[in-house]
Amino acid sequence: MIALLIPVLMPIAVGVLLMVFPPRQRKIMLAVVFAALAISLALAVGVALQPEDALCLTLGTVAEGLTFYLQVDAVGKLFSVLVAFVWLLVGLDAFEYMSHEHDEPRFFGFYLIVEGVLAALCYAGNLFTFYVFFEVMTLTSVPLVMHELTHEAVMAGLKYLFYSVGGAFLSLFGLFLFTAQGAELTFTAGGVLDSASASGVARLAVFLMILGFGTKAGMFPMHGWLPTAHPVAPAPASAVLSGVITKAGVLGILRTVYYVAGPELIRGTWVQYAWIGLTLITVFMGSMLAYRENVLKKRLAYSTVSQVSYVLFGLSLLQPVAFVGALLHVVFHSLVKNGLFLSAGAIICKTGKTKVDELKGIGKEMPVVLWCFTLAGVTLVGIPPTSAFVSKWYLATGSLASGIPVASWLGPVVLLVSALLTAGYLLTVSIDAFLPGSDYNYAALEKHEPTWQMLVPIVTLTALAVLLGVWPGGLTALLTNIAGSVL
Amino acid sequence: MTGNPILLLLVLGPMAAGIVSYLIGRRNKALRDIFAIAVTVAEAAIMLLLVLMGGEVSLSVPGVCGMGLSFQMDGFRGIFATVTAYMWMMTTIFSREYLAHSRNRNRYYLFLLLTLGATMGVFLSDDLFTTFVFFELMSMASYVTVIHDEKPETLYAGGVYLAVAVIGGLVALMGIFMLYSVTGTLQLSELLAACQAAFPGNEAWFYVLGGCILFGFGAKAGMYPLHVWLPMAHPVAPAPASALLSGIITKSGIFGVLVLCTRIFAENAYWGFVILLLGVVTMLLGGLLAIFSLDLKRTLACSSMSQLGFIFVGMGMMDLLGEENALAVRGTLLHMFNHSNLKLVLFMAAGVVVMNLHKLDLNDIRGFGRKKPLLCYVFLMGSLGIGGIPLFNGYISKTLIHESIVEYIELLEEGHSVVSFAAANNATLFHVIEWLFIITGAMTVAYMTKLFVVLFVEKNRDRAVQASFEANTHYCNKATAAVLAVSATVLPILGVLPYLTLNKIADLGQGFLNGVSPEHAVNYFSLTNLKGGLYSIVIGAVIYLLVIRLGMRVKQPDRTYVYVNRWPKHLDLLELVYRPLVLGLLPTVAGFLCRCLDYVLDGLVLLGRKTTHKQLREGRLLPKGFELAYVVGSLLDGGVALLNATFCKRNPIQADFVRFFADQSRIYEETKREVMSGVSFSLMMFGVGIMLVVIYLLVV
Repeated sequence: MIALLIPVLMPIAVGVLLMVFPPRQRKIMLAVVFAALAISLALAVGVALQPEDALCLTLGTVAEGLTFYLQVDAVGKLFSVLVAFVWLLVGLDAFEYMSHEHDEPRFFGFYLIVEGVLAALCYAGNLFTFYVFFEVMTLTSVPLVMHELTHEAVMAGLKYLFYSVGGAFLSLFGLFLFTAQGAELTFTAGGVLDSASASGVARLAVFLMILGFGTKAGMFPMHGWLPTAHPVAPAPASAVLSGVITKAGVLGILRTVYYVAGPELIRGTWVQYAWIGLTLITVFMGSMLAYRENVLKKRLAYSTVSQVSYVLFGLSLLQPVAFVGALLHVVFHSLVKNGLFLSAGAIICKTGKTKVDELKGIGKEMPVVLWCFTLAGVTLVGIPPTSAFVSKWYLATGSLASGIPVASWLGPVVLLVSALLTAGYLLTVSIDAFLPGSDYNYAALEKHEPTWQMLVPIVTLTALAVLLGVWPGGLTALLTNIAGSVL
Repeated sequence: MTGNPILLLLVLGPMAAGIVSYLIGRRNKALRDIFAIAVTVAEAAIMLLLVLMGGEVSLSVPGVCGMGLSFQMDGFRGIFATVTAYMWMMTTIFSREYLAHSRNRNRYYLFLLLTLGATMGVFLSDDLFTTFVFFELMSMASYVTVIHDEKPETLYAGGVYLAVAVIGGLVALMGIFMLYSVTGTLQLSELLAACQAAFPGNEAWFYVLGGCILFGFGAKAGMYPLHVWLPMAHPVAPAPASALLSGIITKSGIFGVLVLCTRIFAENAYWGFVILLLGVVTMLLGGLLAIFSLDLKRTLACSSMSQLGFIFVGMGMMDLLGEENALAVRGTLLHMFNHSNLKLVLFMAAGVVVMNLHKLDLNDIRGFGRKKPLLCYVFLMGSLGIGGIPLFNGYISKTLIHESIVEYIELLEEGHSVVSFAAANNATLFHVIEWLFIITGAMTVAYMTKLFVVLFVEKNRDRAVQASFEANTHYCNKATAAVLAVSATVLPILGVLPYLTLNKIADLGQGFLNGVSPEHAVNYFSLTNLKGGLYSIVIGAVIYLLVIRLGMRVKQPDRTYVYVNRWPKHLDLLELVYRPLVLGLLPTVAGFLCRCLDYVLDGLVLLGRKTTHKQLREGRLLPKGFELAYVVGSLLDGGVALLNATFCKRNPIQADFVRFFADQSRIYEETKREVMSGVSFSLMMFGVGIMLVVIYLLVV
């Protein structure tokens, strides 16, 4: 079905045109960008509504065994709709945020290109296609990080690039190995490799692929780019980087383990235990460092390190309930973290404050933004009935049901300690923001509330993050189906 | 959704109303106050009707939060939901005057009503999941009502409250995870059977999960050693919020512990013994702190802690006594009920003092109550009630718990070896516990006497202040006066007519605690039972005279007395242990370790750059750029100067080419370096990959 290319190529084409022929008037450019984003979302939803078996497309063969192949399954649909939805909202926010930055056409151009690449990544039907678009995503997202072109921004962009490329090389090993074995690496629920005759090298390859894709997902020890890249990137770029692009790494691991290698290949082996260990270290380390960080965006970046590893922990257990929890957390963390970054962006944009200790009383100046920040924070801590509570419930019960020695109970303990630290680094911000103390000078209060372009995305993301926790039914049912197919 | 949606209305209605009140309050403050009062009155009315109609109402809402919520209103839950609604009604009416001149009242009412909904949710819940969901909501929402005045000490105390709530909540959640993983159900109605089936073989798992859940709910119930928030949060919160916090929110913690004692560890003597010991420590420590406290509301808060200790003792006896626990069940239940009512009265009376004086120190408020008969009546009823004086409600429940200890001792002395381990079979130990119980009751009498004497008998040191106190006859408005009078009059009615009132309540509620009606009705006013009360009064009088009058009052040069703080300043669990540990030691150590981990890879890269992959050039630039740039720039600058001197005299060209070229060459060098290092790094990584592949191809 050739139409599958439209959601991929349309944003890329618009993005390239935008950079080659930048419109004179800002209004026209924003209209074009908005139209492209909205159409992308419509296309993603349109694709998601099609029955699965019709959605595949062979684009051509590079060499023997290396085929460009697109295929859409439930996971792809979920991720692509999530990406397009978040992209639209963050784009809207960027209309206001970027208004005082230079080179807007370049930013929006790459912003759209990355969206197209991500769509391709979600629709990729085999490991080769996935890998290619994964690399393209890295390259096209670097300009977003570097956008301000200050010394720090360029260096951070390069660090992001090196880490990502280094990680991708680790994954490449697996791709070489499995292709050399003659395996057709089309994504198939439950894996294509024969777990009975698997060798130690195959397991090593899977582990390296986990590490490699884990770089994008901020998994220890390759998480270092996140806290460097986020503070310097423009807030909308940090938002999608943290909320969505890290999830591309998750998608990579998900595809590798559940759709290529097969969970049985690593169940009960050192690969699984090492993976669990790394995720738990990351979960704790991320929140601990976030707790001790003073720059707001860096704090959020460390928080992402921690939270994305919640997802990876859920995947590493190879257990259906935990799997559902992990994918729920993909969605919920995406919404929450984008909301948080956009709120932080609104604060930076309107007041210029970047450090946490400068934020006393800011809740009085920007009440709507800080209310959303607080609700998103409460969600991320996992206070019921918000969404992250639901995903953590699934993760923890799944972990306890997995029966893996030590990790089955240590996992929930680490998750809860991390939740406590999350409360420590997010709720304290809200408390300072809203409770400046009885000596606060109300007479000198100036409102800094941003316009609707920022408020609509922030409020929408927060509301969804909270409400999806109250009614997660449809999402859980969908994910339970996926879990049933791969495990 | 199956069942009667009225329960959902009771829970969500106040929350929605909170938001409505916020919106109303932006336009019209008076209307908002009326609206909030109307909501709580309606809530109480509906609840009362439901209880009077009798029967059970249940509701399950599947799918919410993943697990679904379920509610049930039966005897016990009906009683406490009604108490909740009743207390909210009274305090909301009182709030109107109490907060009349305060800022941020919109926020206060919003969170007050949110807390009401959440607390109703806790008491009406039918499974631990629902309990937990609303318990957390309640903790969060009540925080905002506690810190209402935003003073530094308020924020500090509020922080402690929130920290204990969050930590407790998460630990309890761990316990609930573990419980769910071993029993597969959290329904209160199924838990008993499920736990009895799963317990053998999983003892250690069960005790750990019990400890976790106890930690979470016990923290809210002021259990030692997690009581630290209680004496801090109450004095700083607005009085209506203190009344709720002490009267009913602590009871929601007790609710959780009750589930443990009656469902998960039903009739488990080991568990009962631990709860009993924790209860004894809590009640003694609370009493001691209250005696030494010099702050009106802090004394009441410590008293709450002590009374909660009584409830813990009752719960412990419930499990120790096994099947013969009728007295303990009824005592626990009634003491929960009575304490709610008592603390409502006492904190509102204290609130009247604060509302007028904005002070809490006993030396400052001394004499305020003189010539104020209503306040005196209200405070006296509360004091007599909580002191366990016969004919007041506290006496009834304390007698029942006391009787249950006596019953246990009798069982031991008759030779029924009730349980299998030595400590629980030691009659002497239980005699000691019985006496500690009576002594704590005596402490209650002593510190309530202290408060009463300070407020209503003694005169202020400063005569002018005393005169102004006595001149102040309009110390509260009519609505507040009515609320105070009504809630205070309830207490002696309950105490004088226990057979008609309290016994009925106990009959109604004991089913939830697996209790049965005792074989022969307890004669509350028999000589033996009155004797216990009398002991407490006599010992209490001795403590008051010896410790408080002689020990805590210091004579001043002008022959007046002041109360002084005799409690060792540094003897504070929070400042001595918890703060250094939780905010100092643990984050520092863990933070250091994490920072090391954080730098592992960056450090390796840096090491490589310093050793094997040295950068092409350390960025030491000439001050004016490189030579070529300098020469070309100087030439051009000279040309510009020439032009400026000749052709462009009117519009001289502003340019500094030396600087321009220096900048350009620096940018060029930097870019080149970065590109080179990027390429070389990529090449190296590529080479490593190729080598791995080659090695693999050679080896395999």
